[in-house]
Formats: sequence, structure tokens, C-alpha cells
Amino acid sequence: MKIREEKVNDAAVCFLEGEVNINNTPELRKAFDGLISKGEKKVIVDFSAVTYIDSSGLATLIEMFQRLKKINGRLRFCNMEQKIKNVFEITKLHKLFDIADSRENALKDF
Amino acid sequence: MHILEYLPSSLEVVPRFVPAVIDKLKDCGLTKEELFDVKLSLDEALVNAIKHGNKSNPELKVSVNIEVKDGMLTMEVADQGDGFDFTKIPNPTEKNNLHKNSGRGVFLIKKLMDRVEHFDCGRKIKMVKFLKIGGKK
Repeated sequence: MKIREEKVNDAAVCFLEGEVNINNTPELRKAFDGLISKGEKKVIVDFSAVTYIDSSGLATLIEMFQRLKKINGRLRFCNMEQKIKNVFEITKLHKLFDIADSRENALKDF
Repeated sequence: MHILEYLPSSLEVVPRFVPAVIDKLKDCGLTKEELFDVKLSLDEALVNAIKHGNKSNPELKVSVNIEVKDGMLTMEVADQGDGFDFTKIPNPTEKNNLHKNSGRGVFLIKKLMDRVEHFDCGRKIKMVKFLKIGGKK
């Protein structure tokens, strides 16, 4: 998995590429640690190049959601392929997370 | 197609072993959706067996038995740990569990595969998927 970060307005956009799985979630957690320590409170994860996610990936996102919530921050996702969205729907995590269809929509009223 | 492997209890083997299995299953004519479901289910079962079953003990093995036959894919993953009470797996979609950052593996497997059974006090999981195009014998 590759992680690319960029700043759009006052949001930090985390662009993930490849598979999010148990072997690379420590890397993702480290990237999220970096965003928290930089004081980022609005984080968007762009899923457009994510091909796979397992329960460990979901757990890391829940962790980040909770960390941001504690500091009155927000986490949004965008550009999920249907097969990835299905994983969120099966586990009902689409009810917990804010999932936008595009990056533009994720940035709206954020 | 038949695969029988005895894997070491190390999570590092999972990203090498699972894609190799998926490559072989591509040749059996599984659809993209089926391959995604099978990959995720096998991943979750292996991680559970290595991490929770064998507790990453290098002296213990995880056996994997995969077969495509008569339009049906069967995967059996067994560990050598203490077992667990598979009748008491909490539902991760319940309101009180939704925020928890663990406990989704078996739930995902049950949703993605057509038949899931536990044996040997939870040490072995059998997962079955009925293939859309029948698969090759």
C-alpha cells in the first residue's frame, strides 16, 4: 500500500493505493499518528485506488475515527469502489463513517 | 484443483500464500467478485488461526485444505491452539459493538461465503462457496 498526503483547504487528504491489510496497517496507523501530531482535525481518506481491505484495515480506520472524535475532529471517506463499499455495508460501518461519492463532495461543508 | 499446505504461525506468510491461491483460483474460472470474497475470507481465517488460534507460536502450524470440485469451492483452515467457543461470537453490527476495533473476521467470512462450519472446538473452520459458473473439476 502506498500513502500520499496532501492538504486541500483546511483538510488533510490521505490518498491510499493498493491493499489495506494486516501487514500494512501499522504503516497506515503511523501516517494517521503523523496527521494527529501535526494537529490535523479534518481528515479525508481517498479510496479511489484501494483494491482491497480486511478487518484489520477497518479496525485502523475505526481507531482513527475515535482519535479524531476525541479532539473534535472529523474523518470522511470518498471514492470507494463498490466492492470496498460492500465490506463497509456488510459490517454496517457505513452507518458509523461519513462516506462521500467524490472528493469534491467530501470537502463540502467539512 | 486441490491445495494442501501446512503454514508456519507467522502473519508474514499470509500476503505470500493468499495471492498464490487466488492466482490458482483464477484458472478455475471464478468471477472477480468471487475471488474478492474468497481472498477476504481466506485472509481472515488465516489471521484468526495464526494470531488467535496458535498465538503466533512458531512451533504450531496452520493447515489449509482448498478444493474446487463440482462447482463448489471448499476451504478448511485449522490451527493447533486451544480452540474457542464459536457459539459466542458477538455480532459486530450491533450498536454496542459497532465502535469496537476487532471481532469482524468470522462475521465477514459468514457473510461472504455460502456455508461456514466450525469443528474441533473452534480450531477448524470450513468455508464453502457455490461458484457461479461451476468451476473446473
